[in-house]
Amino acid sequence: MSLTPLLRKIFLVDLIKGLKVTFHYQGPNEAITEQYPLERPVIYERFRGQPRLNSNPDTGESLCIVCNLCALACPEQLIVVKGERNPTTKRKEVVSWTYDVSRCMFCGLCAEACSTDALDLTQDYEMALYSREGMVLDQAALERGQEPVRYAK
Amino acid sequence: MLDAITGYLRTSTTPGEAGSMFWATIYILFITIGVSLAVIAMNWLERKILAHMQIRLGPMRVGPHGLLQPFADALKLLIKEDIIPEDADKLVFWSAPVVVTMTAFTTFLVVPFGRTHAVTDMNIGILFMLGVSSLGVLGIIMAGWSSNSHYPLMGSLRSSAQMVSYEVAMGLAIVSAVLMTSLGTGPGTLSMIGIVEAQNAQQTWFIFNFFPLGLIAFGVFAIAMVAETNRAPFDLPEAESELVAGFHTEYSGFRWSLFFLAEYAAMLAVSSIAVTLWLGGWMRPFPNWLSGSTWNMAFSFVPALAFFVLAGLCFLGTIRMPKIPQMKIQTVGLGVFGALLGFIGLVLLVPSVSERIQDIFWFVAKVACFMYLYIWYRGTFPRYRFDQLMRVGWKVLLPVGLGVLIATAIWGLMPQLSAAALGMVQ
Repeated sequence: MSLTPLLRKIFLVDLIKGLKVTFHYQGPNEAITEQYPLERPVIYERFRGQPRLNSNPDTGESLCIVCNLCALACPEQLIVVKGERNPTTKRKEVVSWTYDVSRCMFCGLCAEACSTDALDLTQDYEMALYSREGMVLDQAALERGQEPVRYAK
Repeated sequence: MLDAITGYLRTSTTPGEAGSMFWATIYILFITIGVSLAVIAMNWLERKILAHMQIRLGPMRVGPHGLLQPFADALKLLIKEDIIPEDADKLVFWSAPVVVTMTAFTTFLVVPFGRTHAVTDMNIGILFMLGVSSLGVLGIIMAGWSSNSHYPLMGSLRSSAQMVSYEVAMGLAIVSAVLMTSLGTGPGTLSMIGIVEAQNAQQTWFIFNFFPLGLIAFGVFAIAMVAETNRAPFDLPEAESELVAGFHTEYSGFRWSLFFLAEYAAMLAVSSIAVTLWLGGWMRPFPNWLSGSTWNMAFSFVPALAFFVLAGLCFLGTIRMPKIPQMKIQTVGLGVFGALLGFIGLVLLVPSVSERIQDIFWFVAKVACFMYLYIWYRGTFPRYRFDQLMRVGWKVLLPVGLGVLIATAIWGLMPQLSAAALGMVQ
């Protein structure tokens, strides 16, 4: 054994280096844990979460034109859109719109296929439920979006 | 009767020497409560410090910054179902935690928290501590054997092998420190108080005595002491990732908490041995170099100052608490805790109190450094393999300990030896 590694061993140089690293991690601002319900994490813009159907902010009517592109784009085929032509306005209007979140893998293909920016995957992430029934969202639920959960007594 | 009780306070010896049964009992009670409280504090500190070292927060919810977490845990453990395995040896299974806890607490009988603050001053103090603390191995083997299960048995066998082999190196390091008491001033002594007084007489902590021999002996002891208490990185007996929990796998509830208590009490005990033997026990830093009434005065403020700093940290914590209604109780609680610490600091400012208490403070502060080191090691070092552990014990620490012992003896007897050599020449 050459001299340097032996000296390193005797004077525990590597151990002291390790101790130094862990000592510096104790700084008050080092912890990356978030106190979740009290302090909400930063969600990035490209995160895909809870789906939402947008409506025209001026008139309040749905932006969906029942083109069925999202249903065709969906690899899981979990979007079912049914529409009917309105004889007066000559436009297709939504009869039923269901989105089964329980099967969704949040690939975002539906939102990309949407020609009117009606369907979006939002940054909401608190999607846990006590039963599977609530996971099939209808038009009203999709338009309402997710209500933020409040933790209080 | 009353005179016999108050008479002790005017003496400056331990209750054991003064023959005061009443005060001995009081001291025993204080030490038992103090050690238990220290274990509780240690539990919280370990979880917090370890968490911060791993860039986590640790307990935050039960009480401000998780301060009440150990109490919640203790309550949980006490009301938990007490399970004894069907094929276990009931009597041995029942008595193992008692043996472990009793031995761990009995060692504190001779620990000198101050010149007057020990239950008694035994003339074989250090020998008594070593002897009683190695009885703890018996309890661990009993626990492992009586559980009638594989993991506990393996854990206890590992534990006994480790503790027995490291006791040798530990003993050699201790003997070299005891030897130092006989070199220079006065006859040698095994009494814990005598060892500290010898350091005072020789005007140096034994860690700096015969530099670097004292330091090496201390190093050997510091490594052996971690192995002796089965702590990381030598925590093979309970290696969580390999043996579930080692010798106490089958234990639950109150019995398990007794093992926990004993483990931490044993850590405190060996740390007190290290402090007494090498770090000047209850003496304040530089008792001879920075002597005189001015320095005495300055150092007597340190205990109060330490509590004020802790109180200040608490108040800083209350300011930094998130300002939301849910955290209001916690903020107030932390403020009250800070006020309590500040009040203790104020009490320590009273001269008569600080005179009587400050040696305890210095002793506890030194032990606390060791406790921090234990946590620091656990947060940093990976576990040793069993053959590595044995190699360190037998092939490194034992020869080094022996060499230091011989070198200390030769160095200490140098004047006599050289005189004899000169005599031979003439």
